[in-house]
Amino acid sequence: MADLTAPTTSGPRAAGAHEFDATKARSQGELVLRRFLRHKLAMTSLATLVLLIVMAYVGPVFWAFSYEDTSSGSYLAPSPDHPLGTTQVGKDLLALLMRGTQYSIQIGLLAALAATVLGVLLGALSGYLRGFVDSLVNRVVDLLLILPLIGVAAIVIRAISGAWFVVALTVAAFLWMQIARITRGETLSLSEREFVEAARASGAGTWRIILKHLVPNMVGSITVNATLTVATAVLTEAALSFLGLGVQIPDTSLGVIIGENYTQVMMRPWLFWAPFLVLVLISLTINFIGDGLRDAFDPRQTKVRA
Amino acid sequence: MRRARFVSAVALLSGAALVLSACGGGGGTGGDSDVAAMAVAKGQHDGNYTAPEVSDAGAISVSTDKPFTAYNNQTTDANSSYNNFALVQVQIGAFTLNGNNKVLLNKDVMDSVEETSTDPQTVTYKIKKGVTWSDGEPWDCDDFYLTWLAQSGKAKKPDGGTAFLAAGTSGYDLIESVECPDPQTVVTKYSSPYPDWKGLFNNGSITPAHILEQQTGIADITQLKPDGDPAELARAGEFWNTGWRGFKKDVMPASGPYMITDWQQNVSVTLERNPKWAGAKAGPSRITLKAIPDSVAQAQALENNENQVMSAAQPDINAADRLRGLSAQGVTYGAAPGLAFEHLDLNFARPLLAQEAVRKAFFQCVNREEIANKLIGSVEPDIKPLNSLLFFPQDDGYQDVYSDKTKGGAEAAKKTLQEAGWQQGSDGVFVKDGQRLRLSISHTDIPRRKQTVELIQGQCKDAGIEVEDNTDANFLSGRVDKGDYDIALFAWSGGPFKADKKPIYISGGSQNWQKLSSPKADEALEKAVTQTSQEAAIPYYQEADKALAETYGSLPLFQMPSMWAFRDLDRVYFQSYYGTLWNANEWQKKTS
Amino acid sequence: MIRYIIRRLLISIPVLLVGTFLSYVMVTSLGDPLSELRAKPGVTEADVQAAAHALGLDKPVLVRYWDWLTGFVQGDWGTSVALGTARADVYTMVTDALWVTVQLVIAAQVLAIILGVAVGVLAAVRQYSIFDYTATSLAFLMFSMPVFCVAILLKSYGIQLNNLLVSLGLDRWLTTAGPPTGGYTGDLGEVVFSYTGTFLLPTISLMLISFAAYSRFQRASMLETLHSDYVRTARAKGISQARVIFRHAFRNALIPVTTLAALSFGTLFTGAVLTETVFGWHGMGSLLVTAVRQFDPNILMGWLVVVAIAVVVFNLIADILYVFLDPRIRLG
Repeated sequence: MADLTAPTTSGPRAAGAHEFDATKARSQGELVLRRFLRHKLAMTSLATLVLLIVMAYVGPVFWAFSYEDTSSGSYLAPSPDHPLGTTQVGKDLLALLMRGTQYSIQIGLLAALAATVLGVLLGALSGYLRGFVDSLVNRVVDLLLILPLIGVAAIVIRAISGAWFVVALTVAAFLWMQIARITRGETLSLSEREFVEAARASGAGTWRIILKHLVPNMVGSITVNATLTVATAVLTEAALSFLGLGVQIPDTSLGVIIGENYTQVMMRPWLFWAPFLVLVLISLTINFIGDGLRDAFDPRQTKVRA
Repeated sequence: MRRARFVSAVALLSGAALVLSACGGGGGTGGDSDVAAMAVAKGQHDGNYTAPEVSDAGAISVSTDKPFTAYNNQTTDANSSYNNFALVQVQIGAFTLNGNNKVLLNKDVMDSVEETSTDPQTVTYKIKKGVTWSDGEPWDCDDFYLTWLAQSGKAKKPDGGTAFLAAGTSGYDLIESVECPDPQTVVTKYSSPYPDWKGLFNNGSITPAHILEQQTGIADITQLKPDGDPAELARAGEFWNTGWRGFKKDVMPASGPYMITDWQQNVSVTLERNPKWAGAKAGPSRITLKAIPDSVAQAQALENNENQVMSAAQPDINAADRLRGLSAQGVTYGAAPGLAFEHLDLNFARPLLAQEAVRKAFFQCVNREEIANKLIGSVEPDIKPLNSLLFFPQDDGYQDVYSDKTKGGAEAAKKTLQEAGWQQGSDGVFVKDGQRLRLSISHTDIPRRKQTVELIQGQCKDAGIEVEDNTDANFLSGRVDKGDYDIALFAWSGGPFKADKKPIYISGGSQNWQKLSSPKADEALEKAVTQTSQEAAIPYYQEADKALAETYGSLPLFQMPSMWAFRDLDRVYFQSYYGTLWNANEWQKKTS
Repeated sequence: MIRYIIRRLLISIPVLLVGTFLSYVMVTSLGDPLSELRAKPGVTEADVQAAAHALGLDKPVLVRYWDWLTGFVQGDWGTSVALGTARADVYTMVTDALWVTVQLVIAAQVLAIILGVAVGVLAAVRQYSIFDYTATSLAFLMFSMPVFCVAILLKSYGIQLNNLLVSLGLDRWLTTAGPPTGGYTGDLGEVVFSYTGTFLLPTISLMLISFAAYSRFQRASMLETLHSDYVRTARAKGISQARVIFRHAFRNALIPVTTLAALSFGTLFTGAVLTETVFGWHGMGSLLVTAVRQFDPNILMGWLVVVAIAVVVFNLIADILYVFLDPRIRLG
């Protein structure tokens, strides 16, 4: 599933020696932005995603049915009242879908954020300090690569709780390793450079060097990976929830909705297709955005887009 | 896969003995009208059963929720009704049950069974001559003796522990002695009267004594008394407890129409005709019983003709819908009440629920019809709420003691609360003395339970009662028995004996976790359990049932139906203890 | 080489130990395997205690873990603890399930590699063609697709296809409830028929995402080699286009995909859990779900250790393949 998207990201890039120069960095940022804005597919995707998110969060305010309302009949077919029909207990599917989308997006964002922060910090630490810290981080990475996400997540979520943030953080615990490896690689090459040496000579501490000097120079690969991780996290969570091992009520997600309604795929196809398509739309647009970002940060790679 | 499918709602543990007289005719409903008639065995005549002559029906594949796990289903570790589903055709007994739980004497192997004395109660079993296990050894008194020795709980090891770890001892513990005057005669003497004696020595409970003798070196098991040599008893117990684990064909002979020829753990068990079977040759040449936990997947496999019979002890509306839609393809669907019922227990130890007005208002706002219809209406269209804690509608003595307690809906509930001094706050929720009327319902993570709570939330919201959903996968392991809940939603399986209900509902009972207390019910329950026959006990149970309802303490929701479907075959019925295979030897290809 | 392998395996052992210990503690803290017993009418606390004692559940977790570990290394993987399972042997359970899953994973992997490499090479050779764009879009779509939904759709439409076959007077082909219980019997034609009918849909559901990844990877590395100096030299020497592609570029371009494929076995396992669940195979997927539901530490431990070892082994294979394919790399 998910992890497969990770190896396609770029490896260490050659960083210019002057990248720590603030004015230069800003102009490079503008360049990246301009390139991204020109990327049609990515921009369309971004617009679609934003629209979807706005609908998920603002829609419920205007929609006639609350996700809690069970007063409608069982399994009503789509109608003007219920554009997507109702579920077994008589809930409006559109209302459920908006709420499920909120949760799926929240989970994806939180998981990606946590995985990125953890991956970047640990990766940079182990690449910069090397020695004991490096091998410790590597062992932890080994451990997590060995343990199957699905097994451990199932245990952790049952042991702690099925709240959305627990699920998100659990998923994150299995998604940071790739980011850490990439960050470590880039740190290894960056820390040999003069500007890091200079900072170290002027007495800057480890954290300062990592946060002020290393991370800003890796912003491209971090952003791209973080974006792709959102999609991975959304899909991973859906899979866990489908197995009944993920988000538990009162929280919900698109995976939960699919799990509850997939058996209707032949008899009442809308109950399956609606949440399914929203899920695919979310991960597809995020993947396109990530792709656009990669091109924008590193136009050299466009030719050999993997 | 949906989370539901992995969890059984209740322990579907079958007791060692079966409930007999309590269950009259439970009509099959929900499917074709002639499905109800399929509860009657073809070979039954005046309380007897003789396997009918049938023609070859070929290989049949049957699916059910859980896998077959053990040849000896009477040990604590192994006991599961899913084992009975296969063993009913493998280990014959003196009596069996038809689809309506009517007791039938197995005339293929028994000449007669009679109560030869009432003081002390003595039952004499006469076995037909020439009945053997599939390995050629006689099926006779030894086997009955071992069944009693192992399940009476009397045999002790040198360290004082129980030698045989039996799942249940009910009934067998009341038998004082089992004698074998000759191999074909079994004489059982009871220490105190036991009305349910026909529930003992049934299909699926008699394991081969000669195998145990061979494996343990004990020359004659009937010479080993429960108070005999503890070392020898420990040896016998050790084999009985563990020797039949896994699949070892040579120690697992059959005495019924079928024998086990293959077993893939967690996947399937295969039965083929027992060539030494005493009765008429069975119809299907081979029966494969497969485990498919997801009932929708079971329905799909039936639709795809990978299986010809599906059976689920857990009702599932999606699977039911699907199966009904297959009638054009020659699929027959059926549903019948099972042995478990869902209910809501209100915890008297919680200050809010200690107030009768709150309990009454909650009873009134819950609309059980809507819950039953939306959740299992498709499985069993004429489903009605269950209106008794102690009886099922099929039982003699069932009376409706709950309908008038739950009438009125939100309006009545509001009135009840207002009369007790509660006032509706600005958000519609009632408040009294600064306390909001907020109750949480605790349950395990089964979708049906989650949906039940969703529906109650909506229903009680209209009555100004805020209901919180407390889903906890571990609710039944460690919380419910500590009384750690406002309202508990779970199922009790209908135990074989009503006496089992006493600890649940009597004041201070060991399973009375909700701290319910009704002096009237206590008195009636005490009287009921000391009666000598079930008929005599009924009026007392009815009295207790009524008194319990008056407390507004525990609200029964509905009896959970089992459902099944089949194709290509003439008649299949889901027997509540034995599953669909109870009469598999009679199955015929559909003629049309 | 052998020393490297041994070193790698030795490093994995402490990692495995920590992993199993953490998992054991978590599983035992999850819940009580005896909950079903408690919910049975007439059961007393003494009954529950006796059952707990018989199953060894009354010992401290550390002791239980130690018992499990010492048993495990001696080949005794313990038994299931849930009531009604008759203390089934975990070793048999896990190895049976593993065999089912491994068959599926290998079938999917082989198919994914063949198709992925073929599509990747074609897309690279015909860069910016319609084929290339179609392959790229499809790959993105597959990346964004949840495996289980694909499986659900394939299963539902598979049954429809079967119904169509029956209405045409043919036999049902695709199965929805796992391999035939009696095994694959009959003449060669029948065996092939039932084998493909069993494997086709689960294999397709499982391979789609790997296929997408492999095709992208293959395309990228193929492009890289096609633009490399030695290929340009070969071309300049007048060697035919086909020869350049297959003799020179293709071989070198295979390296990254081979490594990726070996590394993805762990991921494929996770995918297989979902696919099996939908298609009702009694493999590692259903075993995991059962173990978690029944709070069964022994089954779960057996499961985790087996999967972890499989991942370690395949990672090692990836490293070794790398050396064989690319003489410039040496293992240290």
